[in-house]
Amino acid sequence: MRGLQILIDGFAISSLYGLGAVGFTLMFGVCGVLNLAHGGIMLIAALLGWWVAADYGAGPYGGAVVGILAGLIASYVTYFVVVRPIQRSRAIPRTEEELFLLTGTLLWGVMIQVGMDYLFSNNPVTMQPLVPGVINILGVRTPQNELLIAATCWIAIGLLSLLVNKTQIGKQLLAASINPRGLTLLGFELSRIYLIVWTIYGLLTGLAGVLLASFFGISSDNAGNLTASAFTIVILGGLGSVPGSLLAAYVVGYAETITAYLINPTLRPIPALLILVLVLYIRPRGLLGRR
Amino acid sequence: MLDTTPLLEVDGLTKRFGGLVAVHNIGFTIRPGEILGLIGPNGSGKSTVMKLVMGIERPNAGSVKLSGTDVAGWPTHRIARSGVGIVFQHSRPLNRQTVLENIKLALLPDSLLRLVAEPHVEQRAREIAERVGLGGVLARRPPTLPFADLRRLEMAKALARDPKVVLVDEPFAGLTPSEVATFSELIDGFRRDGRAVLLVDHNVKSVAALVDRVLAMYLGQRIAEGTAEEVMRDETVRRVYIGGKIEAHPRKDLDKKGGEALLEVRGIDVFYGKAQALQQVAIHVNAGEFVSVVGLNGAGKTTLFNAISGLVPFAGDIHWSGETLHGRSPARIAREGIVQCPETRELFGELSVRENLDLGGQHLSKEERKEQLAWLLGLFPILNERQRQPASTLSGGEQQMLAIARALMMRPKLLILDEPTLGLAPVILEQLSKALARLRETTPITVLLGEQNVTFALPHADRVYVLEHARVVWEGDPGRFAEEMGTGYL
Amino acid sequence: MALFRRRILWVAVLLIVGASAPGWLGAYFLGVFTTAYYFGVFAMSWDLLFGFAGEVNFGPTFMIGVGAYAAGLMNNAGYSIPICLVAGTAAAVVSGLALALPALRLRGPYFGLITLVAVLLLLDLIVIFASVTGGEIGMMVPDVLSISATVNYYYAFGFLVISAVILYGLSRSSLGLILQATGQDRIEAAALGFNVTKHKLAAFCVSAFFSGLAGGMVTFYGGLASVDTVVSLAITVQIVIAVVFGGRRTILGAILGSIFLILAGELLRPIGQLNTFVVSAIALAVIIFFPDGALGWVLRPRDPT
Repeated sequence: MRGLQILIDGFAISSLYGLGAVGFTLMFGVCGVLNLAHGGIMLIAALLGWWVAADYGAGPYGGAVVGILAGLIASYVTYFVVVRPIQRSRAIPRTEEELFLLTGTLLWGVMIQVGMDYLFSNNPVTMQPLVPGVINILGVRTPQNELLIAATCWIAIGLLSLLVNKTQIGKQLLAASINPRGLTLLGFELSRIYLIVWTIYGLLTGLAGVLLASFFGISSDNAGNLTASAFTIVILGGLGSVPGSLLAAYVVGYAETITAYLINPTLRPIPALLILVLVLYIRPRGLLGRR
Repeated sequence: MLDTTPLLEVDGLTKRFGGLVAVHNIGFTIRPGEILGLIGPNGSGKSTVMKLVMGIERPNAGSVKLSGTDVAGWPTHRIARSGVGIVFQHSRPLNRQTVLENIKLALLPDSLLRLVAEPHVEQRAREIAERVGLGGVLARRPPTLPFADLRRLEMAKALARDPKVVLVDEPFAGLTPSEVATFSELIDGFRRDGRAVLLVDHNVKSVAALVDRVLAMYLGQRIAEGTAEEVMRDETVRRVYIGGKIEAHPRKDLDKKGGEALLEVRGIDVFYGKAQALQQVAIHVNAGEFVSVVGLNGAGKTTLFNAISGLVPFAGDIHWSGETLHGRSPARIAREGIVQCPETRELFGELSVRENLDLGGQHLSKEERKEQLAWLLGLFPILNERQRQPASTLSGGEQQMLAIARALMMRPKLLILDEPTLGLAPVILEQLSKALARLRETTPITVLLGEQNVTFALPHADRVYVLEHARVVWEGDPGRFAEEMGTGYL
Repeated sequence: MALFRRRILWVAVLLIVGASAPGWLGAYFLGVFTTAYYFGVFAMSWDLLFGFAGEVNFGPTFMIGVGAYAAGLMNNAGYSIPICLVAGTAAAVVSGLALALPALRLRGPYFGLITLVAVLLLLDLIVIFASVTGGEIGMMVPDVLSISATVNYYYAFGFLVISAVILYGLSRSSLGLILQATGQDRIEAAALGFNVTKHKLAAFCVSAFFSGLAGGMVTFYGGLASVDTVVSLAITVQIVIAVVFGGRRTILGAILGSIFLILAGELLRPIGQLNTFVVSAIALAVIIFFPDGALGWVLRPRDPT
């Protein structure tokens, strides 16, 4: 009984983690950017979605749409205001670009967190469920919302996979992650590819933020931890590997759920971090990493 | 000199990277006061040999004996302490410190406890600076120095260790003829000090005046050894660098067509940092022509092509169909018909052969794409068989064909082929050569080919440029090449 | 030489201003500067690792936190402040070595991440063992350095000056040169005969020594070791900002950056929570437009060409 409960809850949580991490890993794979404002973007989507849904009576679906759009806009702002100026700066040596991107997005993440805190306070908010009601699965009472969230995550991931593997644009993204110079030589503008990636990233991350608010609830204090979990999952799975991130999301999701149910809820984050340290020592490129 | 024991004895050195054997069973000895040239084209494994000696890479087999002690597999810093110094090709000095401080760094002991350098260090650093010709710029910082002085600084750092064995990577790359003379004199000074010197370079010509002996490598193997004269005359070496017998078939009818100038490079200059890679280079390519640019590795061919493709900034002007290319992005230049197939091939390794080709054809309509694909799979039948295989699993020759086919998928007006023969076995060269011949005979395509291998480049060419030390030194008919340039080329 | 003399003059002026501050500053601002000085030591230690040894360490608070909590625990066990400081510093050096091990194997973002994970683990441990550590509220210590603002100020000022002399001296010494060489290019440094591993470990030890000692001092200044003052990621962010803002690879720039950061935070207090927002925005603008930072810009090489 408890085993089944862990199985179901773990599945929903892991799916959500997977959705939160795929955008992050796609961004690194294609654009080479580790966006430390990741949690901030989820936060913007979640809080604006919640605000519109609750205060303006837009309902959960209206709120979700607004939230996702907010995530998209936040993603564009991150690109145009923080990332691109650093990439194009002549004063920053290329060898140190990575550090400046990490520092820049970290600062931007802090600005988002503090800004959201100012606008919405740091009280946790929970978006009303997209679907109410509870369903009984072999004796485990499960909110229908939880199942819908897991399903939505998988639909989004499935759509992403279709886009990447079956469309011309997807092939360009894949090619850019393997060899950007080769793609330039074939007449594709990398700037256009990067814009596409930031768009996909914004939509995925916005959706993850909205679903998170509907599942767990969210507060502006979470931004740093959200970034850290995405980062953890992505490194565990192997930087730039989408399947690796999904696998890692399930490892982390189940490790946390099992710890919370069977040992002690306060120990929840520990096993994931220990697994990560172990993996980094034994296999630094992550579970399915290429390099 | 014969009775002195060798300072450096390398024997049976082998290094594998995954499945690739980068260095196979290489051996040589260098005695005090002797200079050995280690030459080979790009990818021949010569730089790997240097790294193996220095301990930057660990050999899979073989020994590296330094005055009798085997140091193979030791960490780099211990090998350095045992008396091996290296002059890197690309210098990375400490930019916030002065020239003097940079030299002092190399004189410091490997100790955590010595916080202040001993007094003699300063004196010694000044002497070394004087010797390499940096005496006048001791207080300057590296970013303000000209290129030759940066190379001098690298020499000074290597000298500071008073090494028994000195490894020099491409000693003359990017230097002007007068600078080459002073650097030769410096390296000759190492000989007089009784050091053993290993010069690593692309070709015999640049080091011929300096070396006692030359070891030539190709595809990780030793192909010849002897005096510079002997190696230059060696059949295998000539085949690797020049190919076999030089043939030429310029199409005379082309002159009658008097094709219009499609591409005009009007005296461009390119600098990498402070090293001049192209100097007042001017070439033109007429519509329908097949033009070859020949030159040894490092002469500037790739730089020229990258300038045309908009990948490196240049001074001067390049015209394409009468319009300047300035300010156009590399991708736009490619879409407008100048498609480059680079020496590095730049394939998408994890994608299949078919996916690679499809990406090249994405700018075409569906019908055109189908047609172009069918034509190319006919031109390169091997690609047809391997359509579903990831590009990284192809052999070197197949990868080269894929790279060319992928570029052709874009229906280029001008196809730039950079070193297509790089690292390929002779059999493959023949296949490639046939494909190019068919291309030339059956299509109106314009081609600009860059090659070190003259035998490969000339049969297809209507016109030839020779690039040497960043400059065009000869231009003309391939028929005249053999008599005018044939002997002076290597 | 003239430039050198002018620098000495500047340093002398700053020392006199700093030493005489209690004469003309109120207790409130003395407190602000006291905090800024401790922060300056955090930032200088970080710059030694990052600017000189080239290690992107996102876990300075791991070393600071270990130093602070170890000192606090010892004090609660009844030991006197000097012994606690020694013990805290020793614990911090051990933690620094623990961080250095992955640094020798991992590169770039991987190392950055593992240092981040080290901090997260420390945070979790503090919360889990709340009965000993005080959890999120923090751990009170029975002793404090002093209750006088002036005395506390001089402790911090003296500590800052001594640390600055040592760290700056180290950065300009032979060791500093070698560290820079290893940070810039491990292979070239090794080819010059330097044992890169040994020097990296030394850099981590020195950085951990000052971080841990400063962490312990902060604990006995405020009478409290808490997540918010010595461990939280916000502290890391502030350290990074201070160094980048003041100028990487200058050591002393870290002090300027820290004072700016803490003062700006205080002066902007009227706008409430938004002060962090404004400070972060300024820092972001600085790293985009003046990546060399304030002191880096003043000291940029200006050789005659």
